[in-house]
Amino acid sequence: MPDRALEGLTIVEVGTRGAASYGAKMLADLGAEVIKVEPPTGDPDRAIGPFPNGEAHPEKSGTYLYLNTNKLGVTLDITGEKGRAVLGKLAAKADALIHDYPPAEAEAAGLTYEAIRAANPDIIMTSVTPFGQSGPQKDFKASDLTMQGAGGWLWINGWPGNPDLPPLKAFGRQPSYQGGLNGALATMGALYGRSRGGPGQHIDISIQECIAAILEFVLPMWSYMELPVVRYGQRPIHPIDMFQCKDGAWIFVLCIEEPQWERLVELMETPEWATWEVAENRFVRASNWDALRPFMEEWVSQWNADDLYRAAQAKRIPFAPVSTLGNLLDSDHLKARGFFVEVVHPEAGTLAHAGAPYKLSETPWEIRLPAPTLGQHNAEVFGGRLGLSDAEIESLEAEGAI
Amino acid sequence: MAGPLDGIRVADFTWVWAGPTNTMQLAHMGAEVIRMETSQHICTLRMFPPWPDSKPGPNRSGYFNQYNQGKRAILLDLGKDEGAAIAKRIVEISDVAVENFAAGVIDRLGFGYDELRKVNDDIIMMSMSGYGATGPDKDYVSYGPAQVPMSGLSSLTGYKDWQPMHVGMSYGDPTAGLHAAFAVIAALFYRERTGKGQYIDMSQWESSMVVIGEAFMQQVMNGAPPERDGSHDLHMAPHNVYRCAGEDRWIAISCASDEEFGALCGVIGKAELASDARFATITERKANEDALDAEVEAWTSQQEPFEAMEKLQAAGVAAYPPLVNQEVMESPHLAARDFWVEHEHPEVGVRRHAGIPWRFSETPLAVKRAAPVMGQDNEYVFGELLGMGSDEIAGLVEREVIR
Ligand SMILES: CC(C)(COP(=O)(O)OP(=O)(O)OC[C@H]1O[C@@H](n2cnc3c(N)ncnc32)[C@H](O)[C@@H]1OP(=O)(O)O)[C@@H](O)C(=O)NCCC(=O)NCCS
Repeated sequence: MPDRALEGLTIVEVGTRGAASYGAKMLADLGAEVIKVEPPTGDPDRAIGPFPNGEAHPEKSGTYLYLNTNKLGVTLDITGEKGRAVLGKLAAKADALIHDYPPAEAEAAGLTYEAIRAANPDIIMTSVTPFGQSGPQKDFKASDLTMQGAGGWLWINGWPGNPDLPPLKAFGRQPSYQGGLNGALATMGALYGRSRGGPGQHIDISIQECIAAILEFVLPMWSYMELPVVRYGQRPIHPIDMFQCKDGAWIFVLCIEEPQWERLVELMETPEWATWEVAENRFVRASNWDALRPFMEEWVSQWNADDLYRAAQAKRIPFAPVSTLGNLLDSDHLKARGFFVEVVHPEAGTLAHAGAPYKLSETPWEIRLPAPTLGQHNAEVFGGRLGLSDAEIESLEAEGAI
Repeated sequence: MAGPLDGIRVADFTWVWAGPTNTMQLAHMGAEVIRMETSQHICTLRMFPPWPDSKPGPNRSGYFNQYNQGKRAILLDLGKDEGAAIAKRIVEISDVAVENFAAGVIDRLGFGYDELRKVNDDIIMMSMSGYGATGPDKDYVSYGPAQVPMSGLSSLTGYKDWQPMHVGMSYGDPTAGLHAAFAVIAALFYRERTGKGQYIDMSQWESSMVVIGEAFMQQVMNGAPPERDGSHDLHMAPHNVYRCAGEDRWIAISCASDEEFGALCGVIGKAELASDARFATITERKANEDALDAEVEAWTSQQEPFEAMEKLQAAGVAAYPPLVNQEVMESPHLAARDFWVEHEHPEVGVRRHAGIPWRFSETPLAVKRAAPVMGQDNEYVFGELLGMGSDEIAGLVEREVIR
């Protein structure tokens, strides 16, 4: 019986933008064998860091190390005929192929469903692209910043009521993560369908749609009430806010349900303002938040953040710390759950990585391999898996295909 | 064959946003999802705006209706013995059970994994609490908006030299829901091959941290996190949100290479900037980013955002205005891709909802029906699936088990 949920599945990943890397990592971490195909110059994520002491090194980029655990790494120039033929051979032996080349680039690199299906009619091929495979904007250039704009997310983030402050990007590469996450989910669904007799197929994932599909109540605000949304802060209910505490740390003050507010009023020892009509219920508090906010701020500022967090939770009020990354690495709760995992890499050394968001009782999530060094598994994959001879591999190398 | 999860049934104990996001993905893929609800603890989302004509009502919320598309719903008071017994019968004929109460609540309700296994040995059960099922703070309560600050995402997001910021939505919920759905299907895949079900302990807090993994690497390697720097990027410049003509109009622009920067200079009528010593390479552009942003904004502030987008895209530069909700819903591109779902709903009529962000070429997916009104599928579930007669059902209503 397999020990891991996805043991026995082989996935080929061809990614250059983080999305395919993350999606394939999700499959790899649950036991699939992922063969990551990089251009001979390496995945661009090898160049972006972060690096120890800020010194660039292709084997020490934190982004690359994190996104590529549990994968075998090969190099292949798929813009050339020879490399493309090898990719076809890889696809022929794979259950799924995930890539994130935008349509025109994919076409140029032979990453079309027609070509991949010709190599393997049963394969699940998943294309994660900014705008999808069709529609007037499919060839638009994009970045994580512009995709937050196109999906409708950028507009709602920022400081409300200040005309000089532009909409604000959420940290990092969230659209790429969402694309990869949806890519893994859809690929997993199609693989499961196939295991029950379903067909191989092509999955077209649009990052713009992945964002538009998770916008809280933002879109229904238009289709139900024709109300434009505004930047965060003007929430329909309150309190939902962030304040600085006595010790300088920040706290997230949150009451969703009325009983939570009632318990908060108790914790605050029933100040007069909390009994006013303008604080009567969550919707009224929201309309009057500008006036009420200073009172709350004043009360919060008398506490240290962690004390307030725990005092609130003791009354089942859903406050949360505004964590620094250092706080999280030190958290007793996360330590008890073993969330951060130490990974030993031959060049980068031992580094704690963010681990699994889920624990499956029968089939653990685990790190079996650190991210591959550039071309680390060329011989194993091209020779061992595909059965190419040493001479064939050497000639591919000589031609720059590997 | 229709969806890949055709024939799979999900006993859905979830509420608010995170849990329902998980089960909606399963419904999108063809599973029959049965929401078990009670009027005694109405799902928060049902009580949230927006409501047509500003008239509240548990079946009128656009927020609820967006994330519960394609599901069925019954009324059942799980706090009553009879109700609990019926819920067990539903679990018995299901493949998956999902809940997102605070840790421990489901056990106290009598539906812990050990109990569910007694009626269905190979059930896949997923708990998706805020903090996970173990650890010293496991009993704490949480909501998706709290995961943004808790995960560290807030401390990384913000204008330069400003306070930590939220990200504008309860990002923890969908991120949890999508990871959860992936894990459920992985467990179904495992069950298909081995006959074994399992229990999945999912933490919403943890699923909010895995999407900032590279920031943790920075902290671990160098003892300090990436600094808040607005919408700037360490490796691209220009990379910002620039003011356009008109009130509160903006455009996001990013240049990933010298070549793209050269193209942008051409579009904004300042070709000479490409060879200006201050901006010649990414290193210089980062060092002189304020001056660079001023040059770009001098042009954008005279432009209508969509026209600026077209001009820049025609030259191969990534640019897109931050769309407000109406613009997303009226996007010609999304319309051409047939993204929207508009089903008739008994209380709100036909409303536009975001659809499925994946197109399957051979087994096309479709949202089967609008989100359910409360108790909509009582007849189907109690009658057709469980084989109860109408008298029996009426008795349960009378004894306030179905309520
Ligand atoms: C959302 C949350 C904060 C709500 O907290 P809460 O209102 O205190 O609710 P709890 O989960 O603690 O408990 C729910 C209660 O409703 C009862 N209940 C729920 N559904 C029921 C049903 N169909 N029939 C009878 N009782 C039901 C439970 O038995 C429990 O009762 P108890 O308090 O007597 O044990 C909490 O559920 C939570 O932390 N969930 C995990 C994180 C999450 O998913 N948040 C929501 C996503 S944003």
